[in-house]
Amino acid sequence: MLQTLLPILIFAALALGAAGAVRRIRLWRQGQRTPMVWRRLLLMPRRYLNDLHHIVARDKAMAHTHVATAGGFVAAMALALVVHGFGWRNPILGGLLLAASAVMFVGALAVNRRRLNSPTRPFPRKLSRGPWQRLSKSLIAYSLGMFLVSLPIVGFTPGNLVGVAPTVLGGGVLAIVLAAVLVWGLLEMLVGMGWGGPMKHAFAGSFHLAFHRRPERFDDNHPDASPKKTHDVHRGSRSTALFPLDLTAKTLGVEKPADFQWEQLLGFDACVQCGRCQSVCPAYAAGQPLNPKKLIQDMVVGMAGGSDARYAGSGHPQQAGGIDVGKPGFGHHRGGPSDAIVPQLVEAQTLWACTTCRACVEECPMMIEHVDAIVDMRRFITLERGETPEKGAAAIDNLIATDNPGGLDNASRLDWAADLEIPRIQDRPEGVDVLLWLGDGAFDMRNQRTLRSLVKILRAGGVDFAVLGEEERDSGDVARRLGDEATFQRLAERNIATLSRYRFARIVTADPHSFHVLGREYGAFGGDYVVRHHSTFIAELFDGGRISVAAPAQAETVTYHDPCYLGRYNGEFAAPRQVLAALGVDVVEMERSGYRSRCCGGGGGAALSDVPGRARIPDMRMEDVRTTGATTVAVACPQCTAMLEGVVEPRPRILDLAELVAEALVEPAPAVPETSTSSPSREEEPA
Amino acid sequence: MAHEALFKPIQIGKLTIRNRVVSTAHAEVYATDGGMTTERYVKYYEEKSKGGCGLCICGGSSPVSIDSPQQWWSSVNVSTDRIIPHFQNLADAVHRHGGKIMIQITHMGRRSRWDGHHWSTLLSPSGIREPVHRATCKTIEEEEIWRIIGDFAQGARRVKEGGLDGCELSAVHQHLIDQFWSPRVNKRTDQWGGSFENRMRFGMEVLKAVRAEVGDDFCVGMRICGDEFHPDGLSQDDMKQIATYYDATGMVDFFGVVGSGCDTHDTLANVIPNMSYPPEPFLHLAAGIKEAVSVPVIHAQNIKDPTQAERILKGGYVDLVGMTRAHIADPHIIAKIKAGQTDQIRQCVGANYCIDRQYQGLDVLCIQNAATSREYMGLPHIIEKTTGSKRKVVVVGGGPGGMEAARVAAERGHDVILFEAEPQLGGQITLAAKAPQRDQIAGITRWYEMELARLGVDVQLETRADDSMIRDLQPDVVVLANGGHPFLEQVPEWGYSDNPDESLVVSSWDILSGKVEPASNVLVYDTMCEFSGMSTADYCASKGSTVEIVTDDTKPGVAIGGTTFPTYYRSLYQQSVVMTGDLGLHKVYREGDKLVALFENEYTGEHEERVVDQVVIENGVRPDESLYYALKERSRNKGQIDLEALYAATAQPTLAGSGDFALFRIGDCVAQRNTHAAIYDALRLCKDL
Ligand SMILES: Cc1cc2nc3c(=O)[nH]c(=O)nc-3n(C[C@H](O)[C@H](O)[C@H](O)COP(=O)(O)O)c2cc1C
Ligand code: SF4
Ligand code: SF4
Ligand code: SF4
Repeated sequence: MLQTLLPILIFAALALGAAGAVRRIRLWRQGQRTPMVWRRLLLMPRRYLNDLHHIVARDKAMAHTHVATAGGFVAAMALALVVHGFGWRNPILGGLLLAASAVMFVGALAVNRRRLNSPTRPFPRKLSRGPWQRLSKSLIAYSLGMFLVSLPIVGFTPGNLVGVAPTVLGGGVLAIVLAAVLVWGLLEMLVGMGWGGPMKHAFAGSFHLAFHRRPERFDDNHPDASPKKTHDVHRGSRSTALFPLDLTAKTLGVEKPADFQWEQLLGFDACVQCGRCQSVCPAYAAGQPLNPKKLIQDMVVGMAGGSDARYAGSGHPQQAGGIDVGKPGFGHHRGGPSDAIVPQLVEAQTLWACTTCRACVEECPMMIEHVDAIVDMRRFITLERGETPEKGAAAIDNLIATDNPGGLDNASRLDWAADLEIPRIQDRPEGVDVLLWLGDGAFDMRNQRTLRSLVKILRAGGVDFAVLGEEERDSGDVARRLGDEATFQRLAERNIATLSRYRFARIVTADPHSFHVLGREYGAFGGDYVVRHHSTFIAELFDGGRISVAAPAQAETVTYHDPCYLGRYNGEFAAPRQVLAALGVDVVEMERSGYRSRCCGGGGGAALSDVPGRARIPDMRMEDVRTTGATTVAVACPQCTAMLEGVVEPRPRILDLAELVAEALVEPAPAVPETSTSSPSREEEPA
Repeated sequence: MAHEALFKPIQIGKLTIRNRVVSTAHAEVYATDGGMTTERYVKYYEEKSKGGCGLCICGGSSPVSIDSPQQWWSSVNVSTDRIIPHFQNLADAVHRHGGKIMIQITHMGRRSRWDGHHWSTLLSPSGIREPVHRATCKTIEEEEIWRIIGDFAQGARRVKEGGLDGCELSAVHQHLIDQFWSPRVNKRTDQWGGSFENRMRFGMEVLKAVRAEVGDDFCVGMRICGDEFHPDGLSQDDMKQIATYYDATGMVDFFGVVGSGCDTHDTLANVIPNMSYPPEPFLHLAAGIKEAVSVPVIHAQNIKDPTQAERILKGGYVDLVGMTRAHIADPHIIAKIKAGQTDQIRQCVGANYCIDRQYQGLDVLCIQNAATSREYMGLPHIIEKTTGSKRKVVVVGGGPGGMEAARVAAERGHDVILFEAEPQLGGQITLAAKAPQRDQIAGITRWYEMELARLGVDVQLETRADDSMIRDLQPDVVVLANGGHPFLEQVPEWGYSDNPDESLVVSSWDILSGKVEPASNVLVYDTMCEFSGMSTADYCASKGSTVEIVTDDTKPGVAIGGTTFPTYYRSLYQQSVVMTGDLGLHKVYREGDKLVALFENEYTGEHEERVVDQVVIENGVRPDESLYYALKERSRNKGQIDLEALYAATAQPTLAGSGDFALFRIGDCVAQRNTHAAIYDALRLCKDL
């Protein structure tokens, strides 16, 4: 009986699933279209095995579980199609099918185990319940069912089973039970895949990998692909530049789900609700109303239409549903492909809470691009609605009026250096080696100390450098992250025009935000420069033996805080650590460091939008520092410095790498001797 | 950005100054007898530059001529080419840290002393005596005028050749140039006196000669007064006219403005306003001059606080602020503002210890900062953490010596406990601050309180430490700074008793602390003639008492410096306090409900009596030594301080030894000295702990 039923079931499930898949593709294609090049699907297996699996493998247990479950399923499905579907009941294939099902079964048990809730192993808060809880059972059902129905193929029949009455077992009851289990499994695995069940992730995920908007992320040979053997476990290029916005478009930014590029909608749909993004999001941890996982699910709700009532994970803190997994209360937020997202589906505060730290993107096994989505939606709020949060709007107004966010006279950008007599590039028509890009930290007294230290280092290293002075403008970083692409592009174009008038081999800056924008985002507007963060440059000076430092007088324990825009955005994890090593201080790493560094809370204009939470992000970060027992935290970004220094004392001291180096610098003997010897003392004075 | 205006660079002539803060000219009294700058001198200015000061104008009143005596105040001698290499050292040291440095050059005319060194005959336009220095002088002759004009030019040349960034011509504080300006002093009828142009002539010729010598690009400024505050002197309108006149030549790159003349004791006190003055009392005069001229204007006088400075600059009253004593008290003031550590600034309290020493020809020191001008000895403004072992340090006494010892030991990284018997820190500073117009001295304590809290010193108030308590703590170092008590038992006939009901006299401490109310008719007997007696009299008078202050010295308050006794006198005279000198107190006895004080005139031996309600005695401090002797035997160094090490400001040898705790005592618990002495000892003793 099963023999006749099985092919029917399998093909029916496949057909239903396929119908669902077509509908699903239609949903994605509601987004802004680019041609759908089917050939690209061929890219998928390599991207899966190489890149995606690499990220999954950061959690070893989970990686093994997934290999067993997914690998087992794919193999079992293919074999089942041949064996049961087309009826080629070859014992060898049968044996393989049994093995595949068994492997999948073991994986499914592990999936299930992970989701148990016991006093010793509480249900992980990052995971979702609901259909995702069901999935583990479905996986067991499918693998077990497939195993049992495939036993006869290798010659095991129910009669072989010792001690069980063959008549009963050989009868219809067992067959019916088995068929029901299998139907359950097939419904979840094949039909659910097309119709939006949890298994959708496999289908959407495959397409997402194939059609990803940032193909460079998969390109190991890309010029800026991360070197192996670093803190970085990332593979391809860190494709982190925001996409330029066409300012002549009818609508600027994303108002409704259909305004996203279709690949973005596809990406959202691939989310497995694993909650890795939620676990690393600083805004979420601080109790600000942003949970990146929920945000992605909100996007899926918007794309498909309906409410978030069926969502069964942690919500956005402070909002209905809250942070307890599956707590009732969802359902208030609704959306549709052509309905405005804010505020019906997502509240504006959720978008403004993001620091654009990219921790979520870095961690997402499905390689979903949260930050792109958030900035796209901010663009609409800022450019079309003019509803940027107050302090952010003020900063933008200042940028428009004065070219710096503080609204200060831009000509005072060099005031702090009046006594340093730094050469201006305007006076160096023949060109210089290094153009020192000051950034807006030049207006801030704290950061001026860093800049002075950097100047001291450059001088000690005999570097030929100059500055733009008042011709330098804000890089546009903050405006861009706040969604004001127009102001960003204006600043970018003017800076590029300025830079085109001068000759320099490279730009060095102590500001990772400028570093990122100048190095990665100006390219789209015709500005291509060699840009070095000062940590990289100082490490090079050490390497070249151009500067040297004295050994520390006292043993000192230092920890290093990776700035998001240096580390995750640009992959520079090594140079700052080389610099610390050269200083000879003891370095202890924080648990969250390198590519997993926790944001200081100051990026993406978040310091300006200042969305209230339960805790402050810099306080949490300082707690990370304290846990190491370090007395000093080395920083490499003016924004990090400001945020961390905002933490109330007592706390470890906060010093930029440049300050630490400048402090320890052994300077070449000064051109003028110290005064002590040549001034006669009272006694020596002739009467 | 906070303090935007303060940190806005400014162009003076061809010179760029990195911010708006100036250490204005002050006679440091650090040069050699021959007037050459010393290592001490250079390090003193280097420290200000290191601390972020924009412009230092050094060498207050540095003479250009050999008949303007230089040795009284160990001024810098600009009358000889020998100074040039010294200037080069000085300039290098200051420039190394980004600061700029100029010097004030002058001829002081009659404002000096003739009775020493070269025994110069002093000069003045009309030979009129100067009262502050009790200086008689001759009437200057035409030949001498031209010689001195030439000397100014040569002086300026030396400054330029020495690599300094500019010079300031002193036409203030009644030096020779403004002696010519002022009709009060200039009674001449020749071309050097009389009409406005004639009175201006000397200054104009000096300016022309200097400009001709140094050229257009070298910075030359003038320091002038804003109003002499004498009916027969120069008024603000006169000064505006004068400023306009010189400004019109285009030869002056900046003006410094000082409110008030200074050729009487009373006006002298205005010039360096002590703590009885409000903030920036004469800013309006400088602002008036700024309206009249086209070049930057500098003004100093009680500008001590960054917010105040910022407000003045933002308001556009002047272009640069002098923060001169502010830098004497804390040469790192600018660095601290920049570092957002304004609450760590050691703010000048206007005690004027610095200037009052200067007028006596003593090296300028700060009452509260013992590192100032001792940088060359290795006394640090920023104390490094020890690289040696962490010690337990017990400090007894929360007066200035104890607070400094605790601060320095804590900065070194040690575990510090400080015991104070009173409910608050401060010791005698707390008493001093109780007097009218003297409350700002409490700023010394306030800074220590904040620093001790920041450094995590365990401050135990209302705790009188005894030897067993100290021993139980097992300290490595014990610093006793537990002070003393008013010395009323010295003369039994004064009738002092421990029992307040029996005692015929009370102490100045009893009055100032509020323990004893002033009675209606009070006699203050003051053998010290310093602040404490005058403050007590002032305090009683301010509470409505009828007060006489008597001393066996020549006059009450004679030991108080020149910028502070005038402010006491203003207050005491106004309240009709009688000040009597030359009477020694022999005996006090009770007669009915009155007290009789019996005096003897030091010179005639005649007796006088006063019948009063209350006799308050200020007879200095008697050290409390019992705790010291209780600890001394057990201590490893028997309480002895190694003087060679102390004076050289190096580590006490006993610290390297072993055994029980090391014991040191400092301040008035050894012998009465002053606040600076206690702080100095604490710093040099503890800096190598
Ligand atoms: C110790 C000392 C010596 C001074 N000597 C001079 C001097 O020689 N020439 C001068 O023009 N001003 C002199 N001054 C005045 C200062 O330049 C300044 O005007 C005064 O201290 C008030 O400013 P302040 O409140 O910032 O301290 C002296 C001040 C001090 C404290
Ligand atoms: S967005 Fe990515 S990291 Fe976040 S829950 Fe979905 S799959 Fe996981
Ligand atoms: S970028 Fe950072 S702050 Fe924004 S959602 Fe992702 S993890 Fe959270
Ligand atoms: S001695 Fe007094 S007046 Fe002079 S600088 Fe120090 S605190 Fe100020």
